[in-house]
Amino acid sequence: MSDPAINAQAAPLTFRFDWIETLKHAVLIVGALIVLLPFYVMLSYSLKSQAEIEGRLPTGFFGAQQMTVDERCVARGAPDRDAIAAAATRFPGASEREIANALAREVEASCMARPVVYNYTTAFTEAPLLRYLLNGIIVTASIFLIQVLVALPCAYALAKLRFWGREAVFGLVLFCLLIPVHAIALPLYVGLSKFGLTNTYAALVVPWTISVFGIFLMRQFFMTVPDDLIDAARMDGMSEYAIVWKVMLPTAIPALMAFGIFSVVAHWNDYFWPRIVITGDRSLFTPPLGIREFRSDLDGSLYGPMMATACVIVTPLIVAFLVAQRRFIEGITLSGMK
Amino acid sequence: MRAPNQSRAHLWFIAPALVLMFLVLILPILIAGYMSLTNFSLGNDGADFVGLKNYTDIFTKSTYEKMFGATLRYVGVTVPVSVALGLGAALLVNSVTRFSNVYRTIYFLPVMAALIAMAIVWEFALHPQIGIVNTTLERGCGTWLEVWGWLARGCADGFPLWLGDRDYAIWTLCFIGIWQGFGFNMVLYLAGLTGIPRDLYHAAEMDGTKSGWEKFRLVTWPMLGPTTVFVVTISFIRSFQVFDTVEALTRGGPSKSTYVMMYAIFEKAVKQNLMGIGAAITIVFLAFVMVLTLIQRWLVERRVHYV
Repeated sequence: MSDPAINAQAAPLTFRFDWIETLKHAVLIVGALIVLLPFYVMLSYSLKSQAEIEGRLPTGFFGAQQMTVDERCVARGAPDRDAIAAAATRFPGASEREIANALAREVEASCMARPVVYNYTTAFTEAPLLRYLLNGIIVTASIFLIQVLVALPCAYALAKLRFWGREAVFGLVLFCLLIPVHAIALPLYVGLSKFGLTNTYAALVVPWTISVFGIFLMRQFFMTVPDDLIDAARMDGMSEYAIVWKVMLPTAIPALMAFGIFSVVAHWNDYFWPRIVITGDRSLFTPPLGIREFRSDLDGSLYGPMMATACVIVTPLIVAFLVAQRRFIEGITLSGMK
Repeated sequence: MRAPNQSRAHLWFIAPALVLMFLVLILPILIAGYMSLTNFSLGNDGADFVGLKNYTDIFTKSTYEKMFGATLRYVGVTVPVSVALGLGAALLVNSVTRFSNVYRTIYFLPVMAALIAMAIVWEFALHPQIGIVNTTLERGCGTWLEVWGWLARGCADGFPLWLGDRDYAIWTLCFIGIWQGFGFNMVLYLAGLTGIPRDLYHAAEMDGTKSGWEKFRLVTWPMLGPTTVFVVTISFIRSFQVFDTVEALTRGGPSKSTYVMMYAIFEKAVKQNLMGIGAAITIVFLAFVMVLTLIQRWLVERRVHYV
């Protein structure tokens, strides 16, 4: 990140010191700090112990990383009567109370962990986080695949084939673009529960199988593909199906990637729809539901692990975005190009 | 028809999309329209036809008055602020000579991050006692910063509870919404800015336009017209649909001050199984969104002729 002080120092050497430019940077930096604040909180707290988070121990970004005792682990390992009786041979001559205390100390020693290790391991053990991530991948990938399977041939037909009713179909696509799927969640939910499909993968995927936006986008793209290409393929004796998947699909890769990013980001982060159709069955939770659940059964001792969960859920897309920024921005702003 | 083998192919290409469009998009609207006239609930097949009662309820009962109030407050603040900030950020990022990519990346980060996760982080940052926001504000107590009346009052009587505070909750949600959305608007505006031909600025200079503000008013702003129409519409639709932050952080409270429409649909229909009233809100909601989008399309088509 740029720093106005550094700019000001470097200025005389490289270019004329510019008050306006510095002021612009100052405004942009303040904005950037506010934008980054929750990311800072999330990452920093995922590294800290409970005491540090509650402000009882003031520490920096990384926390002190002092070994801390995991109270829940201690509670789980608390010695009962049988354990004390079994351990009596190890402490000859000690009273029952002394043995209990010695065992408690041992449990405590085995429950020591660095906050960062504790937070992230708890995030994965307290709830089936890996399962949530897997569900997220399954759902977003199947949504995207089906969207392409449905939209691509339709877009090709709308752009390159002439048939009776084509304008009507395209008109319908334009009308459907008006409908936000979230807004019709209620009748969809009623329909799915009539068929007993709530709490299934199908429920998570079905409403998104049709992307009128995808059809529209691909159609606009195919309009720019020269007819000669398709005619040449027909001359070679290719069927229309082969043309769609072997000629049109490869030419559409850049547009498809942009659309894919758009689709994956939307559905990986979607909370509303899974919240409605998945009730209770943890094995079907998507990552957003997972973190929500973590928060709702928060008993006040799991802030660190919760922030670790948030980090784990947010990181894949952020990293992908940082790696392929240009493509992501293209993909996300696609909707702006209509 | 050009080739005989193509005459049937289009049917197979169009049919799946048509069937799904009907089943997933059109049919649900019809069902919602019908349900909104009944007192249907899941698990109870015998629904009574109640006419327009659900609609008269929506437009007369105080709960729904609060619902419209909260929705309008949220939309009324989030849309103009996130559009203005998006434009401002785009102009600034576009005009600095260095690091513009860094700023663009940072401002775009919230768009990528799962809103539900970040909402929970914000809730934590806004925690009345241990949150970073209030602890930072407390540090300003006893310093010259107390000349700011609001801070002085906070130091004396305690700082707001933010999400738990009836007077602050909706504005706090607006803030989170703006935080999340303005980077998206910025990127759209940046795309719009690159589309403005340099020549226009030269021409404006030739005509004696000197100040940056005049150039903005005469060239940039009119040329960004189509972008603005789109950015405003999409911001409207997004903020009308606000749900994640409400459901996770306030559940429509305190005292219904954040009871926005999407949450009302969720609460009435899914949690309380009052499908009729939920469907009626759905229809009202759809009407809002469709009218907005149609206005946008009309504006865009009108603009095309003179830009």
